[in-house]
Amino acid sequence: MKKRHLSWIAAAAACAIALTGCSASTAGGDASGSAAEGATLTYLEPQTWNTLYPPAGGFYPNGGVLNQITDRLLYQNPETKELEPWIAAELPEVNDDATEYTFKIREGVTYSDGTPLNAENVVKNLDLFGLGDKDAALPVSEAINNYDHGEAVDEYTAKFFFTAPSPGFGQAVSTINSGLISNDTLDRTNEQFGPGNAAEIIGSGPFVITDEKLGSELTFETREDYNWAPPSNEHQGAAQIAGIDLIVASEASVRVGTVTSGQADIARTIPAPDEAQFAAPGLSLVAAPTNGVNNGLNFRAGHELLSDIDVRRAIIAGIDREAIVETLFSDSYPLATGVLAKGALGYTDTSEFYVHDPKLAEKLLDEAGWKPGSDGVREKDGQRLSLTFNEALPQPRSRDVVTLVQEQLAPLGIEVSLFSGDQAAQDQAVQDANTIQVYHSMVGRADYDVLKSQLFSANRNTLRNLDTATGKVFDQKLDDLLAEIASVPTADERQAASAAAQQYLAEEAYVLPFFEESQVYGLSDKVQGFETESIGRPSFYDVTIAE
Amino acid sequence: MTLGAFARRLGQAVLVLALAYTAAFVLLSALPGDAIMARYGSPDLGLTPQQLDEIRVSYGADQPVFLRYLDSIWAFLHGDFGYSVHSGASVSALLAEALPSTLTLASIALVGAVFLAVTIAFTASFGRGAWLRRAVRNLPPLFVSLPVFWIGIVLIQVFSFKLGLIPVIGASPAQALILPSITLMIPIAAPLAQVFLRSIDEVREQPFVNVVRARGASTSWLLWRNVAPNALLPALTMAGLLFGELVGGAIVTEAVFGRVGIGALTAQAVAQRDTPVLLAVVVIAAAVFVTINLIVDLLYPVLDARLRQKHSIGVAA
Repeated sequence: MKKRHLSWIAAAAACAIALTGCSASTAGGDASGSAAEGATLTYLEPQTWNTLYPPAGGFYPNGGVLNQITDRLLYQNPETKELEPWIAAELPEVNDDATEYTFKIREGVTYSDGTPLNAENVVKNLDLFGLGDKDAALPVSEAINNYDHGEAVDEYTAKFFFTAPSPGFGQAVSTINSGLISNDTLDRTNEQFGPGNAAEIIGSGPFVITDEKLGSELTFETREDYNWAPPSNEHQGAAQIAGIDLIVASEASVRVGTVTSGQADIARTIPAPDEAQFAAPGLSLVAAPTNGVNNGLNFRAGHELLSDIDVRRAIIAGIDREAIVETLFSDSYPLATGVLAKGALGYTDTSEFYVHDPKLAEKLLDEAGWKPGSDGVREKDGQRLSLTFNEALPQPRSRDVVTLVQEQLAPLGIEVSLFSGDQAAQDQAVQDANTIQVYHSMVGRADYDVLKSQLFSANRNTLRNLDTATGKVFDQKLDDLLAEIASVPTADERQAASAAAQQYLAEEAYVLPFFEESQVYGLSDKVQGFETESIGRPSFYDVTIAE
Repeated sequence: MTLGAFARRLGQAVLVLALAYTAAFVLLSALPGDAIMARYGSPDLGLTPQQLDEIRVSYGADQPVFLRYLDSIWAFLHGDFGYSVHSGASVSALLAEALPSTLTLASIALVGAVFLAVTIAFTASFGRGAWLRRAVRNLPPLFVSLPVFWIGIVLIQVFSFKLGLIPVIGASPAQALILPSITLMIPIAAPLAQVFLRSIDEVREQPFVNVVRARGASTSWLLWRNVAPNALLPALTMAGLLFGELVGGAIVTEAVFGRVGIGALTAQAVAQRDTPVLLAVVVIAAAVFVTINLIVDLLYPVLDARLRQKHSIGVAA
């Protein structure tokens, strides 16, 4: 009997300990719970950031942080896409073939650790971004092409040399991928740019990271001595809010609910079906265009099933893009009229190539010799017309898009299957055209180079134009057209080269664009002055919060 | 339990840990793609396959699987959990950040679940009015069928967004625990209540209950002194097993409520194929699971005199 009593007492004691543990944390919570003083902006992110190495800022959660803590040499006006001075005191001097750039650096700019931002530091930044550092596992920036080296001519003049024309360099130094960081920060390794180190990443931006809760929260404080906003910006000096609380909320309904119920000020990635909730008074939506290659399908013509242009044409004619966009998305996702978004540099309208016409699709397939088999899937020479699509995990509703495509193509005798798997598996699979024949993707970058970034054989190579196993290029003409965009020095020439490449992509039926992808933010009307940079990353410098 | 039996039981526990580790390692290596791919393979970075291979070499990920396996075991035995491939943070720092939060959530949820289960079982067995007993008896099947994430989202929608009682953002640590622990409590309480209810039913059929009643015991005396202790054993076994549910539930709960914890850490590590983190989580989860079940086993003879007797008879024979 005694032992039984003991066990009950032990259980009661355990409960008591658990309860006191709970009440102890209550007390601690109340003390720190009063952090909501002044106007601190609460911003909700769907994903955790994974590195603050600026060239890796392409991942939206990274870019959303970098944009608050770093400045760039040049400023790209989000509306006009024009480059303007920022940390560079004026636009750079460029030689005729765009292989030498000279920047005058603004004087008096300091990093948040007090060190000066001078020519030597700028050179150190771009040497790292342009060349990478294998020992530190830091890759080369995708935005910088043909980089050779930089030189500090004097304290406030930096000169950069390229092995071949690099007309995109001016735009490249305006992106988050070229966010300037202090000398000490540049010495860090890839791991030291990762989570857990956020407060040690030192930029010259209007906000400073002061606290980090691993995987869930970042706290930013306003830098009071900040005084080097882009000259064209109306508001100068320090930011008008006390700081930012960046909170990770992966569940979409939670992000939507916290903003609509007034617990948070702004949230990124509002799913299309939830957009209607922001039509209520006191709330609004900002759909920021990403101004690059549209969300769409890339047909890998090097694969035997897709090497016939008529098959590619038939697939395009068989897909009803309007139905997909109408069913799954909202007005924030305009139907694509070309490979590039309307706001992208170099945009050309190729919408005539994407007309929905199932009759034509059937005719093309019949003529190409694909006959319906016993199960309805077309066959030719013992091969089934069965294609595998990837699931673009970072893109909105990719699985649903592919499912609709599957439904639309099935009656035509084209079988579509979806490759499911986590990001690592997807990244591995898309490398091989035998695994993924149709690649669903997009990329945002406000420069002519974006088309090359996406499709060129030595860049993302989304069409698998280069078979990395054999080293063979399937369509040399396409590669030449793309390379042209990044090697002609003037804007007019680049515009023409980009248009030629888009026309060729449309004629050859290599790409089917679906819609212009937007970054959709839901916000409370208390938040005024919210803007995004040229491809949709949030900028909180101009924000004010009404009480 | 003799010393020999205890040692055997401990040996089993260690074997389970080793097997869990090996299975996790083999499965993670067999999957296509790896952590390097997950971190650097994203087309956003635009790295060529050659550059990826170079990074792989610099991380030692190009070595044969068996060597990496031995390396990681050796490091583990030295208490070195390595570094997260995805974030570069040390795994022990990640665990130190996540573990206390999950333990707090899990223990509150478990205590709450036991309380809820006992309340349900007692009300269903001895509640006033047949309709009440019948209604409460139907609660466990209902609770079991509710998905954890759904409970979480409904609770947030109602109590935080609609009624504004508990903030999701900027909540104090205590406030931040209320909804997640209720979310986690419900699916754990359900099977516990069911098992407890069933064994109360069984114990009440036993002849000794009639004897005790005949001697003038009240219902509550009967319940607390005779029925409950005898019905406790199966429920305790169940509670040990429910730890698995607790971990699984925590993954969903922490994701829904945006809490830092082992669950959220696991979910992220899975999405990013972060092998060192996953291995550490598997080993810790297995260790806790094994320990809890070991304790439950050791508690049996303490709680049930019959097990002590059997044992002593066995020794005598």
